[in-house]
Order: sequence, then C-alpha cells, then structure tokens
Amino acid sequence: MATWIFSDPFRALGLWTAAAAAIVLLWYLARRPAPTRATKLALLLGIGVLPIATAGTGNLAGYEATKERPFCSACHVMTPYGDDAASAASRSLAARHSRNAAFGHESCYTCHADYGMFGTVATKLGGLRHVYEYARRYRSMPVDEFLATIEIRRPFPNATCIRCHSTVNPGWTAIGDHASALAEVRAGTVACASEGCHGPAHPFSKEARKARKARAGAGEAAP
Amino acid sequence: MRWLAQRLGVIDPSRLLRASAALTLAALALMVWSMLQPTPLPVMLAMTVGQALGTLAFALYGYVVIADVWRGRRARRARRASDAGTGGGDAGEAAR
Repeated sequence: MATWIFSDPFRALGLWTAAAAAIVLLWYLARRPAPTRATKLALLLGIGVLPIATAGTGNLAGYEATKERPFCSACHVMTPYGDDAASAASRSLAARHSRNAAFGHESCYTCHADYGMFGTVATKLGGLRHVYEYARRYRSMPVDEFLATIEIRRPFPNATCIRCHSTVNPGWTAIGDHASALAEVRAGTVACASEGCHGPAHPFSKEARKARKARAGAGEAAP
Repeated sequence: MRWLAQRLGVIDPSRLLRASAALTLAALALMVWSMLQPTPLPVMLAMTVGQALGTLAFALYGYVVIADVWRGRRARRARRASDAGTGGGDAGEAAR
C-alpha cells in the first residue's frame, strides 16, 4: 500500500480528497443541517474544492493510465498485440522495443503517439476514434477475424523511428542498406517497419492477413 | 436561462443542495472507480459522465449560494426602503 502511494502520489491524493469529500457529503445527507453559512462552507469543500481536486488528479491519473500497455490491450482484439509486446520470447519489433526501458509499459503509446501530428491531444482524439470503431465494428468480432481484417490507418511514419535512430550516427550509416536508402528513409518513401527491412512491428497480424488473402485467392482460382 | 432560474426558484434550496450532494457522490464514485481500475470503460465514464455530474452538482450549489445572496440583498434593500418610508431606524426612534 505504502509503495503504491509513493509510486503514484497523484492517484493517492485523488483518493484521499474523494474520501474527504464523501465524508462531508454523507454527513450532510444524513444529518440534513440547516443551510447556514457554516453548512454552505462545509459544502463548498464537499461539492467544490475537494471534488475538483479529485477530478484534477483523477484526470491526470487517467491520462497516464491511457498510455499504459494493459490499457491499450484491454479490448479483446488488442490482447494479442499486448501479449506479444510483453513476451520476453518474442522477436517482433514491438516486443524488442518494449524490452527497452525507454518504452517499457508505455511502448504502444511511445510508438503510436504521433499519428495525429499534433501531440498528446490529437493522439487522445485518435484514441476516441478507436473506441468508436471498436464499439461499432469490432466489439463482437473474433480475434482471428480481426487480425486478418485490421489494417493500420496510415503507414507507420519513419519519423517515429528517427526520433531515436537518428540516421546520422556512423554505426547506422555504415550499414549498406541504410546508406543506399538514406534519402528514401528520411523522406518516408521506404518504410523502416516493412518486410525486407526491419519487418512489420506486429508480424503475427500480417501472417493472418496473408493467410486470408491466400484463402481468397484459392477461392477465386477454383472453378 | 431565466426560465431555468424560475424553475429552480420554486424548489426548496435544501432540496437542491441535497441533490447536488448526491450528484457529487455519484461523480466521485465514477472517478474513484477509474483510479482503482484504470481500464477503458471506467476511465471514459469518469472523464465524461463523472465530469458532467460533478459540474452539474457544482452549478446547482453555485445557484443556491448566489440566489441566497441575492435574496439577502433584496431583503436588506426592502428593509432599508421601508425604514426610510416610516421615518427610518434609530433617527426615527430618537425623534419619537
């Protein structure tokens, strides 16, 4: 308990202020005192100051929670992505980056945050679109079907990779493929996370799509 | 807005304050749930329904307090006016 409070003081503060507000409000509802100035001041604490503090810290804790990998993989169709990223045995690009402390539990957010180009707020708005799509189309879809259907909305931008892999270090440019495709990589016309380069970040989903296409192709070829 | 104030004006302020307290408790419950179980549903509910309930509760409280202040001011003004009409307060008492 103590460790948890010290590791997440905002959440602890939010819970304490919520508890204090609840005490004031329950006292008011149980005792029903006359609405004197003292009662109104007590209610200012119980309805105004303390809940606003709870909302402030709660929102902050909520925003932080939305960056965590368990949050992203809470919907059933995203579970394979979260499991793969968390797997110590997986050799996928996502898993290898998740083992890096700089990505850690926020590996989904760290890589996918710049979809909107306008930072955190745009990313959160994009997340709301995910919620909408999930509620509308994917809520009751089996995972296998989802993996074979889902596509990234826009190609994964190389700029995300270049934030860490700067493309100017001698170790990077010494690799022949990097040196020959330097302009294309920087321009984003050759994707770092593509087959033939570093592979897709979540290869299992691509395999499911390939299998589906192969099945569809076989169906068309058959008389 | 005036329509809303008129509708609220006929409700007993204590009742409004009790409703405000109950709404705040509901909002707090959603916020606490989101902090204890930070998964998509609780977090979204806290940030939408929770915020809306909390704001509504605080608005009700604010209305009761402001209406009370206005009512007090009006009563004082009316008392002063009636005192002035009857020769007024201490001066009137002394003259008699």
